[in-house]
Amino acid sequence: MAARLGRHHAIELWLGHLRRTPLLLFLILYTVVTGGPFLWVAMMSIRTTPEIFNDPYGLPVPAHWGKFADAWTISKYGTYFWNSLIVVGCAVALLTIIGSMAAHCLARYRFRGSRFVRVAILSGMILPPQLLILSLFQILLQFGLYNSLPGLIIAYVSTQLAMTVYILEGFFAQLPQDLFDAARMDGYSEFEIFWRITLPIGMPAVFTTIILNFIILWNEFLYAIVLLTDDDKRTLPLGIMHFMGAHQLDVGMIATGLMISIAPVILMYAFFSDILIKGMTAGAVR
Amino acid sequence: MAVVTIDKLRKRYDGAAEDSVKDMTLTVADGEFMVLLGPSGCGKSSALRMIAGLESITSGAVAIDGRPINHVPAKDRDIAMVFQSYALYPHMTVAENLAFGLRRRSVPAPEIDRRVKDVAARLGLAPYLARKPHALSGGQRQRVALGRAIVRDPKVFLFDEPLSNLDAALRVTTRNELVKQQHELGTTTIYVTHDQVEAMTMGDRICIMDGGAVVQIGRPLEVYRNPANTFVARFLGNPPMNLLAATLAWEESGHVVRVPGGRYPVEGYAPEDLARFINGPVTLGVRPEDLYESGSGAPHLAPIRTRVVTVELLGAETLLILTAETGEEIVARIGRDSASHPGDIADLFLDTTKIHLFDPVTTKVIPRSR
Repeated sequence: MAARLGRHHAIELWLGHLRRTPLLLFLILYTVVTGGPFLWVAMMSIRTTPEIFNDPYGLPVPAHWGKFADAWTISKYGTYFWNSLIVVGCAVALLTIIGSMAAHCLARYRFRGSRFVRVAILSGMILPPQLLILSLFQILLQFGLYNSLPGLIIAYVSTQLAMTVYILEGFFAQLPQDLFDAARMDGYSEFEIFWRITLPIGMPAVFTTIILNFIILWNEFLYAIVLLTDDDKRTLPLGIMHFMGAHQLDVGMIATGLMISIAPVILMYAFFSDILIKGMTAGAVR
Repeated sequence: MAVVTIDKLRKRYDGAAEDSVKDMTLTVADGEFMVLLGPSGCGKSSALRMIAGLESITSGAVAIDGRPINHVPAKDRDIAMVFQSYALYPHMTVAENLAFGLRRRSVPAPEIDRRVKDVAARLGLAPYLARKPHALSGGQRQRVALGRAIVRDPKVFLFDEPLSNLDAALRVTTRNELVKQQHELGTTTIYVTHDQVEAMTMGDRICIMDGGAVVQIGRPLEVYRNPANTFVARFLGNPPMNLLAATLAWEESGHVVRVPGGRYPVEGYAPEDLARFINGPVTLGVRPEDLYESGSGAPHLAPIRTRVVTVELLGAETLLILTAETGEEIVARIGRDSASHPGDIADLFLDTTKIHLFDPVTTKVIPRSR
């Protein structure tokens, strides 16, 4: 009897494994397809260009770690990195402040024209960047902000504001009205209610928009290439493109630059992916 | 001292076809526990929110101790409110929730600390001061919400259905606790509920609302025994009052109300009040507890023939769901045991001294003169 039960249990276990095999195979395939290129770029980042052309998929032996120092100083990736950090940092800060306040107002208050304001802001999500780039170029040129970091910051804020407001409004609207009524009766002003109630409770969603905006803007290329021309103002995506000449391709340095560019995004996702997922799903329930 | 005076209070929301609150007039005496009772959508919460200052007033006036507060901001009305959802700040501890309102009013920190500890001790919250709301049970959260109101030491408490999220057993204990706290504090209280049991057991007086209008105000038993119209008669009491289509007649013995299957003398009415209903329709009202299985020869008990539809044995009592000879359904509440079965013809007895008569057109009660 015990032996029969043991055999039955073993068969159940094997059947369980068998049922999970297609999913496992899919996951392995997916990991190879998405992770494989990243691994390849990582290996190329510590190999020289001739070594790569000689053996594209070879292992990095010897590993040229000095390439990162050269990229940072000689190839000016350090400058591009700080430009990216300034532009994206300022844009994300402005998006968070303006977006959270706008979302709070749209979620909590009914005022004349609120529907129009909501449509006006959210319609920005529908238009593709390619449609806006020329007019944005003209406007920045007119205001003397073309080929400047502040101009790029303004462009980034204007393009990402709709998504920020959309995510945050959805989350803020779920907060019970009673919380705000209670705070009003306790004597708090509307700004204090936003600062002490909405923001602390809405922090998961706010954090999500910070991470999302950072990832999107860190990798942004189109606006940067159109609105910046000076080499010392370039952001990282433009800096990497710098190594793609008409007649030659410094693959090794491109890979090194890519790793410098990817590193902050990877770190951010590695540490904050839980919060990102929670915030996305919380904001999605309207 | 806090007397709340409401004078012809009206509220119409933007785009609404009619008023949500219609000419509400009410005075709540100092220290009184006034219950606003009515079905969902009757305007009781709207009225409460206008008193609190959370809704604008379309017309009319609200005053506390004679001081009009229509244009006084909510924070300056010296009113504390307990919400249906408790409105506890989820990112703050119990202690921080209790202290939140006091910090804004520049109360010194040692005083805030003292008041928070006092209220926590009073409500049994001392062991939970460091916890956040999500780590509390429903009853504990309710007590924190109450504590947040008490710690403010306001002139008036407003409660907006605070017990509706609690289970039945907890509701009973919390109800008693609320009444006890209010009596100890002596603070004027206006309490909104749709639960008649809460209204009957908690209020010094109840104000019944329907369709935005005040229908009747009075002490709970007074309103129960003398409902102003058929709505109040059916809303208060479980099971509700039975209403039967009847005819009023004048006989040698006096006024008599007739239904198919019975005739019942009516006494205690001024003839001039009944004159216009003679030989015309009236609505006869009788409470389920005023129907009996046996007459025992009592002169005030008159027979009424019914057919039993359902027998509900509840243990402490029995409910008979019956059909009168008019075809209308009536409910009788009788003793714990009953020999009746569905389908039986039941000759019940009706207490004629407990009959209520209503105008079938206006639904208002025809008042007894004695």
